Amino acid sequence: MKVKIKRWGGVAIWKWNGVAVDDQCSICRQPFDGCCTECKYPGEDCPLVWGQCSHCFHMHCIMKWLNSQQVHQLCPMCRQEWKFKE
Amino acid sequence: MAQNIDPVNGSNNSTAMKDGDGPTSATKHQSTSKRLQQELLTLMMSGDKGISAFPDGDDVFSWIGTIIGPQGTVYEGLVYKLSLTFPNGYPFTAPTVKFVTPCFHPNVDTYGNICLDILKDKWSALYDVRTILLSIQSLLGDPNNDSPLNGQAAQLWSDQVAFKKLLLEKFQDTKS
Repeated sequence: MKVKIKRWGGVAIWKWNGVAVDDQCSICRQPFDGCCTECKYPGEDCPLVWGQCSHCFHMHCIMKWLNSQQVHQLCPMCRQEWKFKE
Repeated sequence: MAQNIDPVNGSNNSTAMKDGDGPTSATKHQSTSKRLQQELLTLMMSGDKGISAFPDGDDVFSWIGTIIGPQGTVYEGLVYKLSLTFPNGYPFTAPTVKFVTPCFHPNVDTYGNICLDILKDKWSALYDVRTILLSIQSLLGDPNNDSPLNGQAAQLWSDQVAFKKLLLEKFQDTKS
């Protein structure tokens, strides 16, 4: 039997490394593999960041939290001083 | 930043403009209501005992919560209604939470204002309606008598029998 492929469609899936598929950002309550409430499309434009305390958030969400803090910049989860994990 | 001019936001704009800070607050508005809708969903699924909350009418930024006094405390079985008002900056700024049902308690004043650190300087973006109501519920049985808003209640707290008597009298008054 001879098969002639006329056309095909490609489908790809992706996920962030280091977080479970069903995990959500505890600031905005949206999935990590989705985007924060102010972005439209997930992916590199709405990245994840980790603190040295190992807690993870959408970058936009943690930046908004840190900017709203007047004195100390603490992780909203554990109240340790927030330092970005290198 | 194309989402700033999403025409779907048009209906929200009137409220945003009232706040006086232009179209950027329309997106904030939207992300706050998105989170509140998410919270409502999880709150309805969670089935916590003794606490509940629901938006007050069509406005998702103002909720009415209910707390039942915890077992083993003088407040056992008493039902209190609270109002929760969410600012546009929620969850980055705390909501305003007040008792609607008058509450005789060392850390609640006669206007229903509550003195609770997590609603002030200890606020975190991770708190939500559920954790706020659970915190207030546990505050009922475990007041902070060192910084009272109601001096009479704070003084009387050490005498739990007398406290409960006065509490029930006052609670009955609010119903009649």
